[in-house]
Amino acid sequence: MIPKELQEEVYNCIKCGICMSACPIYKQLNIEGLSPRGKVQLIKKIQEKKFEVSEGFNNLLYTCLLCETCTVNCPSGVKIDRLFKAMRAEILETFKLPWQKKLIFNILSSDRLLPFCMFWGRVLGNPLMSLLPQKGKVGTIAFPKLPRFNAKPLLDQYPETISAAKARRRVLYFPGCATNYLFENVGHSVIKILKRLEVDIIIPKDQKCCGLPIFLSGARKMAIGNIMKNIGVFNRYDHVEAIIVDCATCGAAFKEEYIHILEEMGEDAEDARKFKNKVMDISQYLANFDMKKYLQPLKGRVTYHDPCHLLRSQKIKEEPRALLKHIPGLEFIEMADADVCCGGGGTFQLDHPEISEGIAKNKIQSIKDTGADTVASGCPGCRLQINGNLGNEEIKVVHPIELLAKAMGEL
Amino acid sequence: MLKSEIVQKFVSVVGQNRCRTSKEDLITYSYDASILEFMPDAILFPKSTEEVSKIMTLASANNVFVTPRGSASGLGGECLAKKGGIILSFTQMNKILEINTENRYAIVEPGIIVADFQKAVEKVNLFYPPDPGSAAVATMGGTVMMNAGGMRGIKYGVTRDYLLGLEIVLPSGEVMKTGTITTKDVTGYDLTRLICGSEGTLAMATKITVRLLPKPKARRTLLAIYDDIDDAGTTVSKIVEAGIIPATMELMDKVIIKAVEDVFHIGLPLDAAALLLIDVDGDVETVERQAPLVADFCKGQGARNVRISSSEEENVQLWTARRALYGCIARLRPTCMIEDATVPVSHLMEAIKKIIEISDRNHVQVAVLAHAGDGNLHPLMLCDQRDEEEMARVEKAMDEIVEYSMTIGGTISGEHGIGINKAKYLPQQLSATSLRMQRAIKKVFDPQGILNPGSFLEECPL
Repeated sequence: MIPKELQEEVYNCIKCGICMSACPIYKQLNIEGLSPRGKVQLIKKIQEKKFEVSEGFNNLLYTCLLCETCTVNCPSGVKIDRLFKAMRAEILETFKLPWQKKLIFNILSSDRLLPFCMFWGRVLGNPLMSLLPQKGKVGTIAFPKLPRFNAKPLLDQYPETISAAKARRRVLYFPGCATNYLFENVGHSVIKILKRLEVDIIIPKDQKCCGLPIFLSGARKMAIGNIMKNIGVFNRYDHVEAIIVDCATCGAAFKEEYIHILEEMGEDAEDARKFKNKVMDISQYLANFDMKKYLQPLKGRVTYHDPCHLLRSQKIKEEPRALLKHIPGLEFIEMADADVCCGGGGTFQLDHPEISEGIAKNKIQSIKDTGADTVASGCPGCRLQINGNLGNEEIKVVHPIELLAKAMGEL
Repeated sequence: MLKSEIVQKFVSVVGQNRCRTSKEDLITYSYDASILEFMPDAILFPKSTEEVSKIMTLASANNVFVTPRGSASGLGGECLAKKGGIILSFTQMNKILEINTENRYAIVEPGIIVADFQKAVEKVNLFYPPDPGSAAVATMGGTVMMNAGGMRGIKYGVTRDYLLGLEIVLPSGEVMKTGTITTKDVTGYDLTRLICGSEGTLAMATKITVRLLPKPKARRTLLAIYDDIDDAGTTVSKIVEAGIIPATMELMDKVIIKAVEDVFHIGLPLDAAALLLIDVDGDVETVERQAPLVADFCKGQGARNVRISSSEEENVQLWTARRALYGCIARLRPTCMIEDATVPVSHLMEAIKKIIEISDRNHVQVAVLAHAGDGNLHPLMLCDQRDEEEMARVEKAMDEIVEYSMTIGGTISGEHGIGINKAKYLPQQLSATSLRMQRAIKKVFDPQGILNPGSFLEECPL
């Protein structure tokens, strides 16, 4: 059951419609049922037993990016995204996950299957990917733009503890699945910068996928193992000053979602609350340092895209921009509507490629209009989506931290 | 219920995808921004005048009820299927067809959002002044049918003042043009301005031509804080009397100040009794001259503090808070009923006091907002629609407010429209002759009574 206080949220919706002007999906399709207001009203009817959960409702509920733009814009303060997330968990009992998602989530939540699949992904997948035709897509991502698996998972490339010579600070680093298996350069960059700043780094080998893609699809029970495991890991290293994440999504999971989910499932959230304030996006952590003195000039023009999970879930807006602006020689230019969702939405772009592409189109246009040669964003999902929709444009898509590491030069 | 063979006929016009009849669709097209709900039988999404015309031809041949709808941000059930039938949603007919800078007009389809249209014309240094609080949500079609007003009313008037012409589809399916693209036009009856404000009961607009102004070069926002709401009211009448015309003049009471500050943290003093939010706009010189003048008026009438914005960002911040005000207030209680009785400006303060007195007497929690410059009051009544006894008290208070505004030469609705909420008050303002004339006009346009049935004239008790 949806907890009582979330149920009450539907009565705070005054149906003013401001959420419709915020919702990227409503703005694409202009159908009320797809708008936050529409879904909130349907949930109200379900709660009042005037309408039964249906296949159609299920489709509407999952035709949502969970970008949280409606929530932050709702003048009545309705916790719209939390209501939708809880509702997804609620109706998953009736409408099972599609088999493809079930398979992916089983892999993400398993200790053995994930490394196993990633191994074969690298050995067989990478060469096979090169054989794919130029045309064709997975979701919105064109075949040639699919990322290759890391030659070796990042976690296998470093020891569990990296000690600096005269370290005064110590952090735990959680690279997340995307960095570990796909975007190793992000991980190398984080580690290189932290080493230069003389910070001790602990990279626990037994960390697991944060589980967010699993539980935001409603499969909370399936994700609970990951959640408990990571909570255990973080509390084991309670002597670190920060838990560093390089992925917007992992950060949102640790700072907010774990607590909400445990509470809503009637579990004890105390252990999840303990480390909440220690979790920091890498851009947030680096704001503690005077970075300028380490940086060599770079060339070019960069723009920045706000990931939903960084901007709206974690309220991080200025920190990544500040890092980019610190780099001498690199021109920073703000794109129009940088805070608008790219339409990726994790697995959303696989489920609804047409809607997703429509939203991405506006983002790509904003990027092109800046004339930038590089676009930076601290979310692997956004980077996949943006890169996948850029077409033949010669624009690089990177994590801000990669540019920073580059500006730090060779170690 | 519509027979399935009839639905099929409509499907043949718009296709399966743009004719929706699922339970989810019917529920999500059953409400607007009021507490009213009526279930339609189907929702159609036309994309062209031809489609609208075909739909209406079919509807009149089969006697099917049709109710046009934009974004459903209205407050009186005007766009709801009060007698069932079809909802005609114009949200997918939302293009800007032309922005003409030489002759300063634009032609749009009805589904475009007002704020999107405003942004588009401002890009070419033009200005579409009508600015309802719901501009970010409402469609141009909706605001034309409702003759929406808004915050700039005192200086710039309302939607009707900017309409040049329309392309309309009559209930019979016939397509007709009204007006022209020229500013001056005295050819025949002014049907453009008749359709505007008809609450979607006479015809549907498929193209809208509006005149535009040059975009004002400068704008300053002033925020005046008062310890006594009377002083705020006097300031308004003094400014009006002195011949200064600000672009907007919003008055908010202490309940609203607190609700807005709790959400936006923009530094409003929580112990203040009232505030005025005033915009002056125009040429740089005019604005530079008027802003301090208005500030002096405020101080002269006892304002504790007057802040003049120093940048466009600050203007935007203050006005964002104003636009979200309805929601901020709604946080206090689940339901918020909004009144819009409008009185002559000289009676503004007297009316505000009366509203507070009526609300207190009926034990109704009230917050008072006013587009003070044009006497347009917005008492916001906070309640819970699940509590029948409380709702009865709210209704009684509203009845009394309307009755009172009639006694001082006001109107039962300044800008929200009659819909079905206020239909019962119509005979207090319109004579039997006037009602007879209005019904005769409706008959000419819609002899079968298929367009937007159950509207104000039908709900009117006399």
